[in-house]
Amino acid sequence: MFKKLIEKSFEKSPWLFHLNTGSCNGCDIEIVSVITPRYDAERMGFKLTGSPRHADIILVTGPITSQSRDRLIRTLAQVPDPKVVVSIGSCPRSTNVFNGSYSVEGPLDKYVPIDVSIAGCPPKPEAIIDGLAKAIEILREKRRAMK
Amino acid sequence: MKFPYLKEAIKSVFKKPSTEIYPIVNKEAPEGYRGKINYYPEKCVNCGMCIRVCAPGCITRTIEKTEEGDKITFNFYQGQCTFCSLCADFCPRGAIELTKNYHLAVTDEKDLLVSGTFIKKLPPKPPVQPQQQVQNQQNQGAAKTE
Repeated sequence: MFKKLIEKSFEKSPWLFHLNTGSCNGCDIEIVSVITPRYDAERMGFKLTGSPRHADIILVTGPITSQSRDRLIRTLAQVPDPKVVVSIGSCPRSTNVFNGSYSVEGPLDKYVPIDVSIAGCPPKPEAIIDGLAKAIEILREKRRAMK
Repeated sequence: MKFPYLKEAIKSVFKKPSTEIYPIVNKEAPEGYRGKINYYPEKCVNCGMCIRVCAPGCITRTIEKTEEGDKITFNFYQGQCTFCSLCADFCPRGAIELTKNYHLAVTDEKDLLVSGTFIKKLPPKPPVQPQQQVQNQQNQGAAKTE
């Protein structure tokens, strides 16, 4: 009985982990504004955590710089399966204007498959909510596939 | 004893919550918002100005030679776009437009691609003038300059 309750509550309340890999802070501010009372993603059950070990959904911002690449790999390895990777903005998707820079190590899909990508520079908070709604469905499918 | 925010607290009890219930009530983007790209291939003249001004290089062009003329395809990959609107500003024919649509969260990468194809016909070859007429014209031109 408790297992069923836990299963249900997992789907209703996915926890987010925000991972900054050399972003310009634009997308980070938009993520924070999603949590504020104005857009209030917590009414859908999203909660920002401080630890990757508690997270279900990882929000990645920024092109992966060479300084942050090792940390990105280490952090993603700490997230328990099933996890959903959401790329926020154009930077993790394709490195954006930093394309070809000596200190930027490629788009995010070199290291991990991206499940949901939100375009925009930065995307509107509403667009992020759209993306998170899609991420929940993917998380649900992944959890069912794991059983 | 003083309650510094008591007045504000009592006011707030009767106020509506400030939360925008977004998925239930759709919100329109403000005027001048730069969102999803629209491309009109019938207006395009293939000058390549948009490719020149695009900082991240999200616009690519492929030219195929066919019998009717050049088959030109423009691809706008919005996953690499900064939405700076420079391409739309510099377009001499207004073939590119940035709309107010901000729903750009996708699960498939290909949904971010906006592309359009058009065929640019080669101009008809001008008829070859007889030798004498050309010389006459040149003489007339020389006379005018004098």
